[in-house]
Amino acid sequence: MSSTKSPTTNVPALVSPEAVEAMFDAVRSVAEHSFFAMAEPQDASSFYETAGQVPKWLVATVEFEQGWLMGAVSCSLPERLAHRLFDAFTGRDPADPAPSTDLVHDLVGEFSNMVCGAWLTRVASSRTFTLTHPSVEPARALGAAGNLRLLVAINDLPIALDLHLQPAQGNA
Amino acid sequence: MQILIVDDSAMMRAMIKRVIKLADVPVDAILEASNGAEGLAVLRQHDIQLLLTDINMPVMNGAQMLREIAMNERWRGLSRVIISTDGSTVRREEAAELDVRCYLEKPFSPEVLRDVLNEIADNECAGTGQP
Repeated sequence: MSSTKSPTTNVPALVSPEAVEAMFDAVRSVAEHSFFAMAEPQDASSFYETAGQVPKWLVATVEFEQGWLMGAVSCSLPERLAHRLFDAFTGRDPADPAPSTDLVHDLVGEFSNMVCGAWLTRVASSRTFTLTHPSVEPARALGAAGNLRLLVAINDLPIALDLHLQPAQGNA
Repeated sequence: MQILIVDDSAMMRAMIKRVIKLADVPVDAILEASNGAEGLAVLRQHDIQLLLTDINMPVMNGAQMLREIAMNERWRGLSRVIISTDGSTVRREEAAELDVRCYLEKPFSPEVLRDVLNEIADNECAGTGQP
């Protein structure tokens, strides 16, 4: 598994090596339990080589907040993977008519919601976070990495998970 | 039995609905709502026996809805199940105080939800799913 980190004040627990492990554990759990898919850690070179060939991405973002601590988890995945996850989640036959964009976005949003919630439960189980309704946007390429970026493959297709932390107001 | 599913994800509601149909529970109707406020409106209009609700939702979250339900005698016999990504100890303690019978953490396999539904139909709840 690969990650990049940048210095952040007041939130050491969320960008620690343990938090990175917890993020991968959350993704693997969501992939296996709800999407019957296999998640594997990726090294940067093989990830970006595969990612460079992806024509269209979907970026699902869930913001979280607990008192002074605010941030967001973004899942960037190829549209092709989104459709595969949709089929696995719903039991849809690939020969059936394609699902609507709204439904695929809803599903990708729920995927990111589950990853974010499962990760927060692992790293801060004594705290209750408020999560926003997921937002899902199409993208032509991967965006900039957050404070932490985790590189994973789900069923051999790349997915990047970015943790964005907002500076703590009055706590710097 | 009339069942209400409250979740802001249409896909998650569809998945839960599919599992309910596969479970061995007597179902007269399955109703849906996308947030706590809509859920309360459905509860007022229908005789619901089982509520399956998410926590984090826009407009009114699941915890706020459950607090409203706990204050109303009319819904005393309503079986309440939380299905949420929020597995915090604080939320589980709060759920226990709000008469929630089972607490299912997302992600979950369809089999786990099916077992919870079957046990609720038998007036029991899986030990691992208790808040």
